[in-house]
Amino acid sequence: MSYRFDRLKVLVIDDNQHMRRLVSAVLEAVGIKTVFEAENANDAWKIFQTEPWDLIFLDWVMSGMSGLEFAEKIRTSPDSPNPFIPIVMLTGYSSIERVNAARDVGINEFLAKPVSAKAIMNRLVAVIEHPRSFVRTKGYFGPCRRRRREGAYHGPERRASELETQDTSPNAA
Amino acid sequence: MSKQQPIEIFMPPNVLKAKVGGSGGLDAGAIKRAEDAMEELKVEFAGWIIEDVNRLTQMRQEYEANMDNDRLGNLYRAAHDLKGQATTFDFPLVARVASSLCKLTDDTSYGIELPVTLIDAHVDAIKVIVRDGIKDPTNQIATVLAVELERQVKVFLEKTLGE
Repeated sequence: MSYRFDRLKVLVIDDNQHMRRLVSAVLEAVGIKTVFEAENANDAWKIFQTEPWDLIFLDWVMSGMSGLEFAEKIRTSPDSPNPFIPIVMLTGYSSIERVNAARDVGINEFLAKPVSAKAIMNRLVAVIEHPRSFVRTKGYFGPCRRRRREGAYHGPERRASELETQDTSPNAA
Repeated sequence: MSKQQPIEIFMPPNVLKAKVGGSGGLDAGAIKRAEDAMEELKVEFAGWIIEDVNRLTQMRQEYEANMDNDRLGNLYRAAHDLKGQATTFDFPLVARVASSLCKLTDDTSYGIELPVTLIDAHVDAIKVIVRDGIKDPTNQIATVLAVELERQVKVFLEKTLGE
């Protein structure tokens, strides 16, 4: 059975009209009927609060409020109507420091520029099929920043907090 | 040893999946429609890149008239847009030169005025590549130009910032 993309409502936020148009055209081509383009984060914040949006494509580098600041506001503001909404960040950055900075404000997926139709579609499927668990700590709220890799590590427990709770006595079962 | 803060981990309901249904994965038709949409837009790319280059030129002029951090930020964002989009618009060497300009203008904390001649050289190179319709990423003259600009940015940053 095919996806019913027509049921989705997507916000595309980028201060460059050409990139907005490009992403919107691809989303509309696969059947998403409600795609709203915002040219800055302040306008997007107002729109975000008016309707139940399902997904956000968000540019990083924008004048005024940046994509990072906007993402953080969505995740942590008491006025945010949906702190769980998936956010795909459009970015020309590739350094690990930048990627980590975006992860630290609660980005779900990255879409590296230059974009392709296939890359946009892959991110769309990723947020549908592979949702992240959410983490709340004193300093962070958002998708788990670790990729789930089942069975990736099979060695002994090394975290001190876990070791303290494990019964390692010779008499343990 | 300080007491650790509690960590709460939970899985929110998958609203997207509930809405779109489906059995997972994309059908070939959807990918084809998406790629066709991109192809159809290509007729507009020539006009789009000219608009983006004009914006870069304007930001360059504004920065050079008043070299403050706000205008440097505007110049950086215009270059960053070209860095990200020019390859999509079939101008990979514009993306390369714009990337070099981004490196030069990235950090507004330098507290120094950037070399206008080097900024101009980048902007002029981008204008020439677009004007001459150079879309081949191996174009010899444009590649030599890009390499030289990258070298000069590297020299400047090393000399100025000790990078």
